[in-house]
Amino acid sequence: MVLKTFASAAISAALALGVAVGLAGTASAQHRGGTLTVGIDGPRHLNPAVQSGNATGTPGTQIFAGLIELDENFEAQPYLAESWEVSDDGKTYTFKLREDALFHDGEPVTSADVAYSLDVVKNNHPFGIAMFGAVEGVDTPDEHTAVIRLKYAQPSLMASLSPVLLPILPKHVYDDGQDIKSHPANSKPVGSGPFKFVEERTGEYITLERNESFFKKDQPNLDRIIFRIIPEKDQQARLLALQSGEVDYFPFSGMNARNVKRLQDDPNIEVTTKGFEAIGPTNYLEFNLRHKPFDDIRVRKAIAHAIDKDFITKSLHLGMSTRLDGPLHSSSPFYDADALVMYDVDLDKARELLDEAGLKPDANGTRFSMTLDYPTFHPESGKLVAEYLKPQLGKIGIDVTLRSSPDFATWANRVASWDYDATMNSIFDYPDPIIGVHRLFLCDNIKHVIWTNTAGYCNKRVDELLGEAASATDVETRKKAYSEFQKILSEDLPLIFTNEEPYTAVYNKRMKNPPLTVWGGMQAMDEVYVEDGQ
Amino acid sequence: MSAPAAPVSRPGSPTLEALRMLAHNGPAVVGIAMIATIVAVAAIGPLLYPVDPYSIVAAPLSPPFDEFTPQAPFGTDYLGRDILAGIIHGARPTLLVGAFAAALTVVIGVTIGALAGFYGGWIDQALLRLTEFFQVLPPLLLAMVLVTLFSPSLPTIAISIGIVSWPAAMRLTRGEFLRIRQLDYVKAARAAGARNRRLIWRVILPNALPPLIISAALTIGVSILFEAGLSFLGLGDPNTMTWGLMIGANREYFLDAWWPVSIPGVAIFFTVLSVSLLGDGLNDAFNPKLRRR
Repeated sequence: MVLKTFASAAISAALALGVAVGLAGTASAQHRGGTLTVGIDGPRHLNPAVQSGNATGTPGTQIFAGLIELDENFEAQPYLAESWEVSDDGKTYTFKLREDALFHDGEPVTSADVAYSLDVVKNNHPFGIAMFGAVEGVDTPDEHTAVIRLKYAQPSLMASLSPVLLPILPKHVYDDGQDIKSHPANSKPVGSGPFKFVEERTGEYITLERNESFFKKDQPNLDRIIFRIIPEKDQQARLLALQSGEVDYFPFSGMNARNVKRLQDDPNIEVTTKGFEAIGPTNYLEFNLRHKPFDDIRVRKAIAHAIDKDFITKSLHLGMSTRLDGPLHSSSPFYDADALVMYDVDLDKARELLDEAGLKPDANGTRFSMTLDYPTFHPESGKLVAEYLKPQLGKIGIDVTLRSSPDFATWANRVASWDYDATMNSIFDYPDPIIGVHRLFLCDNIKHVIWTNTAGYCNKRVDELLGEAASATDVETRKKAYSEFQKILSEDLPLIFTNEEPYTAVYNKRMKNPPLTVWGGMQAMDEVYVEDGQ
Repeated sequence: MSAPAAPVSRPGSPTLEALRMLAHNGPAVVGIAMIATIVAVAAIGPLLYPVDPYSIVAAPLSPPFDEFTPQAPFGTDYLGRDILAGIIHGARPTLLVGAFAAALTVVIGVTIGALAGFYGGWIDQALLRLTEFFQVLPPLLLAMVLVTLFSPSLPTIAISIGIVSWPAAMRLTRGEFLRIRQLDYVKAARAAGARNRRLIWRVILPNALPPLIISAALTIGVSILFEAGLSFLGLGDPNTMTWGLMIGANREYFLDAWWPVSIPGVAIFFTVLSVSLLGDGLNDAFNPKLRRR
């Protein structure tokens, strides 16, 4: 076995070498052509400037380019901006734009488009303020120079310039007085990215074709990308589409652990957990701290002692997920395992804590009853863990009633209107905690909006630390602030973090150069190519 | 003149004869025996097998009759919950939903059908239009909307099924009323001074009952399937273990484990089959053309 693997590795290495040596000059021409079929959830529209999430982000980043791209080390690389300078105080960013970049309608990309796009995102994107609240203005001294001025240094700024968060929109198309959120061009977008929009059949497919005048020379490789709409929850349909070769790539597969195992055994299919570093999906149990007895920290700690996170990751997710004990995803550069307060599985301790909190068991052994909601998306985390918690919390005398929601809007409304006892919930941390994490804990973000501080947690010290981390320019100061933040959160437990979500991308091996840097499928697939005649 | 008032219990009446026929109908007897078994499981099973169907007893998706998991003879589901416990504890809510939804179907259908068939004229036309309105809506879709409007729980599911499935009972009742109201004994009762209410409920309805009983029996089976369908689509009540819920929740894992889906599936199959056998038996028994053969 070992020998055989080694031999085949050696052969393919030799072949690869041969190709590299023999065809170096014409490599990109070799890879030209072909159609890639990508499976996604149905997007509302295709403009990531006013819509977050991967259903819009995946096709959106093929159509729209951004100022920079992040590489696998979260470092910014030139994209529409060919170079940039940051002032010493971290408050002025000067970008030099490429002069050869054109929108799909032939108009040049200028600094005015950059200024306009940033303004749109800041005011319309769900976390536009988190990303660009510090931006005072964008100056456009000439057509190809854009200067972003900040009120205070914001270390997350470069990451926020990724195409999925700040797609550069053509001002001449969108700035016509219509509401940007419902602009007709959101469904027939014009961008400057590697692929042009051709047509969309709602709920069926979206077709993009090669942008012949893309500013990166000889890119992209593919002639065409077809996005097939197959919802994440139709796992069997996705599985069959992939195995039959009907779809080449599911950037956000949503596959449950058992289907992942099945795909790993398929010689034509590759499964990877890479490409989600900038997304950082986390799963947690959120309490409505306004509801008794969840305002009592002893009750929250008792529940923490009753949850066996290893059962979740090992038995339910078959080892495909990782346990989570604090507010930051472990892929975050600010993650500090040593700062976290851990709760071992100890049902006696849990019962003791509930006794102390005055919640004695009644004749049936029930101490109190609670309702537990769970979101409709990604059942592998929300629903599965909620169903596990029902009998598990029953062991310490908490009678859990599960409340399912027929659709996303119902669940989101319940949580956003604070009409719940506790809910499973999950967020994306995004490349910087400022973008994804702060929103859950800041006192002034206690809002009737989903994925804000709906739990109602307010701790002045946490506000101070997050403020510090949001404005410090040097990494060490930020690290220190985030370490203390992680310690306090794992001590206070307004949310009980359970696991990092087992996200996977799955693709047919005929797809080469898969986009596996920190944004996964939500980045330009200009270097992707397909092997024909597989 | 009292004959039409109590036609169901007279010695030597068609009812008794029908029951005798039923007793000699092999498939119907099998059906009755199966129903009795299932009802017995629903009634006393949870006492004899007090394992909580929600508690996690072994590794997820342990196969049935596995030597390593003797505590779960039918295996476990995707969370490691005991399938046998699910089947036994799920019998009661499954049957209750079926019976309650069927009862509601019959009550609504018979009431509307009786009024339409008895009074005729514009009342009939109006009620027919109403029935057609419900008939042209796909029942599963309408039930999904209703369950979604109210939060999914066992009563709301049963009520939704009842609300969407009454038109068949209505049409049947209306047809019977149209036929019977012209018969001589009805005219006689009317001539004797019986009021409309008495004519509907005491004179015509008892004579229209046989086909309605058959249809009600079949409706129980259909309602159980309906609940299973709603649960399959994720609209079941997650706090009540029903067989449909077990199928719906486990289907994602079907390629890895057949038992969490197939075992409750077989249970539903036999329940619906037993009700159908009984319904067919009743049909034969009440059919005068098959009598005294």
